[in-house]
Amino acid sequence: MILQGEIMTLIKDKLESALKKVQKPARYLGNEWNSVHKDHHKTAIKMAFAFPDLYEVGMSNQGLKILYESVNAHNNLLMERVFAPAADMEAEMRKQNLPLFTLESATPLRDFDLIGFSLQYELSYTNVLNMLDLAGLPLFSGERDGDAPLVIGGGPCSFNPEPLAPFIDLFILGESEEVLPALLLNLAAFKESGMNRSDMLKQFSAMAGVYVPEFFDPVYNESGILEKIEKNDPAVPARVVKNTVSDLDQAPYPTAPVVPYIQTVHDRAVVELFRGCARGCRFCQAGYIFRPVRRRSPEKIISIANDLTAATGYDELSLSSLSSSDYPQVDELIKEIDQALKGDQVRCSLPSLRLDSYSVELADRLHQGRRSSLTFAPEAATERLRKVIKKNISEDDIYTALSDAVAAGWQGFKLYFMIGLPTETNEDVEAILKMCRDIRGRYSGRVRGALKLSVSVATFVPKANTPFQWEPQLSFQEILERQQILVEGFRKIPGIDFSWHDAETSFLEAVFARGDRRLAPLLEKAWRLGCRLDGWSEHFSFALWQQAFKETAINGAAYAQRHFSYDQCLPWDHLDCGTDKEHFIREHKLAYSGHKDGGSN
Amino acid sequence: MVRIGFIFSRSGHLAYLSHLDMLRLFIRALRRADLNLAFSQGFNPHPRLTLALPLPLGVTASNEPGEVYFDGEIRPENFKSEIEKQLPEDLRIIKAVPIEPDAPALASLVEAAMYRAELRSLADLKLENRDQGKLIQNALETLLQKEEILASRTGKKKKISYINVRPYIIEAKSELTPGGPAVLKLLLKAGSRGGVSPVFLLSQLALESGFPSLKADCWNLHRESLYFQNGETLQPLSERM
Repeated sequence: MILQGEIMTLIKDKLESALKKVQKPARYLGNEWNSVHKDHHKTAIKMAFAFPDLYEVGMSNQGLKILYESVNAHNNLLMERVFAPAADMEAEMRKQNLPLFTLESATPLRDFDLIGFSLQYELSYTNVLNMLDLAGLPLFSGERDGDAPLVIGGGPCSFNPEPLAPFIDLFILGESEEVLPALLLNLAAFKESGMNRSDMLKQFSAMAGVYVPEFFDPVYNESGILEKIEKNDPAVPARVVKNTVSDLDQAPYPTAPVVPYIQTVHDRAVVELFRGCARGCRFCQAGYIFRPVRRRSPEKIISIANDLTAATGYDELSLSSLSSSDYPQVDELIKEIDQALKGDQVRCSLPSLRLDSYSVELADRLHQGRRSSLTFAPEAATERLRKVIKKNISEDDIYTALSDAVAAGWQGFKLYFMIGLPTETNEDVEAILKMCRDIRGRYSGRVRGALKLSVSVATFVPKANTPFQWEPQLSFQEILERQQILVEGFRKIPGIDFSWHDAETSFLEAVFARGDRRLAPLLEKAWRLGCRLDGWSEHFSFALWQQAFKETAINGAAYAQRHFSYDQCLPWDHLDCGTDKEHFIREHKLAYSGHKDGGSN
Repeated sequence: MVRIGFIFSRSGHLAYLSHLDMLRLFIRALRRADLNLAFSQGFNPHPRLTLALPLPLGVTASNEPGEVYFDGEIRPENFKSEIEKQLPEDLRIIKAVPIEPDAPALASLVEAAMYRAELRSLADLKLENRDQGKLIQNALETLLQKEEILASRTGKKKKISYINVRPYIIEAKSELTPGGPAVLKLLLKAGSRGGVSPVFLLSQLALESGFPSLKADCWNLHRESLYFQNGETLQPLSERM
């Protein structure tokens, strides 16, 4: 124990000196308001929640806050946070041999019973490896001994976790706020009984939604096509079915979340109105993996809103969900929240607005300050393509909503589109230009000053567990060509702030989103070559990734642009997101019906 | 409207907060305390809270003045006890006093600031303690003998200009304690009428010392007090409150 104390002092000294040298040192302090500091000697199981991105991104994630609450609510359990260090901090840590530590107590990660990675985004995968390495742990699950912490993963990417499978001991599929504390309490019992690692994993695999990759073997045919994924242990269920919280009113919810010192990406109180989305946009993974729709009651929402503002001091309350204006009688709800928070000077906001008059009316009611700009996501600029992706809004809806907004005094719009959607042609891309030109033409003279119009264009990434999971991504060349149409077109339309996502990052996202276990060596190679913080353009190096593809002889295009047929085995076929394949096939066919090319499968 | 002035200290890791982080922290604490904050007028009303002089990142402090406005009645002692419950341990309110509504803004009174810099460790320099003191003293003397110490300022449109900050050093001396770390006391002009950053001076000192690795981050910096001009003399701002 004395030795332990000395190590802690040493770590704190090194941390002290590192804090003096790095940018934004407040990222690493860990004593923020409402942070939980428990006695390590009085809790049976200690978990480090590892978010593989910078503090400002991780602290904006609602999943982190929910799990921090649900685990720390147990006397016998403890959860502390750790984020990917920024490049300058990593350099200091490596120079001083400072192991990756949790913020709350500066405890090295390897001293925890369990490390849980939140997998939100494919481009954070190199950060996962980097954090394991900074923690002083072997990257591969099979190389970690019985004393090492269990390394688990969860979040949207665990619906196709195969590229990470060799590194992670187990994944939790679906919503974890109820199953995670249960898993940790089981771990306490298993450790108490002296169970070995392999038996523990076997026990865990019997829990709902728990996927232990080492009990499954992918089988490839001679041409390298995945034929099936077989379980290799009779005691393990053949399919893993995701977890779903049944009653949001009963589920744990963070009413006193940690309040960061520094400004984070979403720096506000959040109350979740409902989970899931009934819209069923065919490209949207969140719309499928969070099914079915479950609502929180207005009473519960109001009580959470009250508790949140009292416990945090935030001046903004976000009424969050995938499509908040779909909450029944949301206008009534907003009125009631306003009433409840009267005098507190708290602004309510809706994060996701549909392009219809009703939503504009809501935004209008919520917004008291300067009406700068409203954000909408038409996704596609032609009605035909919007039908293909099931974003069912008509041209009329769009212009009525925008006209209402302008009449109400809004000064501009921010619009989100996607290119590369299935069936898209150059005309669909050019329609984005036309729509923006029309909007400028119609409203320029009708707002005070110049109409503010910003347009952001992403590239479609086919995701697991969506009706478009079989679809290829556009080839790299085609992405660049279609972006070029936009770049040149917008050059001729003055006064529009146009931005687009790099083709390179969208390509990598697709490779990993549809990848299998054979990508693990690529990931390791890319990390060894120095790839990390790939989601940040100032750190992203496509040249290093190309080198990694080359050195591991992996054809990235074959992954991103692969066209799966309905009867082919998908790398995530053994994982059950709650919607069956027949539904996806039906939706996929519907996307093509009414389109002259017809169904392609 | 009630105007309350307060003196606070900051220690430990809270030194790593920026000025904007500090304002956010105070405002959220005031909101949690459910005190009747007064808000500015306009499109985006915000609480009327000011700290007399921004604290540089990494600097602790013992006597920092700030002021805040409330709607309706509140006694300074209530303000102090209520807000302290909502502040982290390393941020303490030393005293709170009423301020006359027509008194000048605290920030406009700031004339100078006293800093204490303590050398943390010279492990990299491989010097004995007594040599440290000597080295620092010599470097300081050389620096003070200069008539001109140029510092760059980034103005509007990112235009860079240079100004002489030597006149902003009111007093600078080193304190030698046998066996102890080297300590500097710096009394520097500060506030809206011009000033110099202690961090900049420490980096200049490193250049003079011949040890460029003696960077500003080798020092623990502490702000002891802010001063206002009282006739001919500088007087601690905290004494006026």
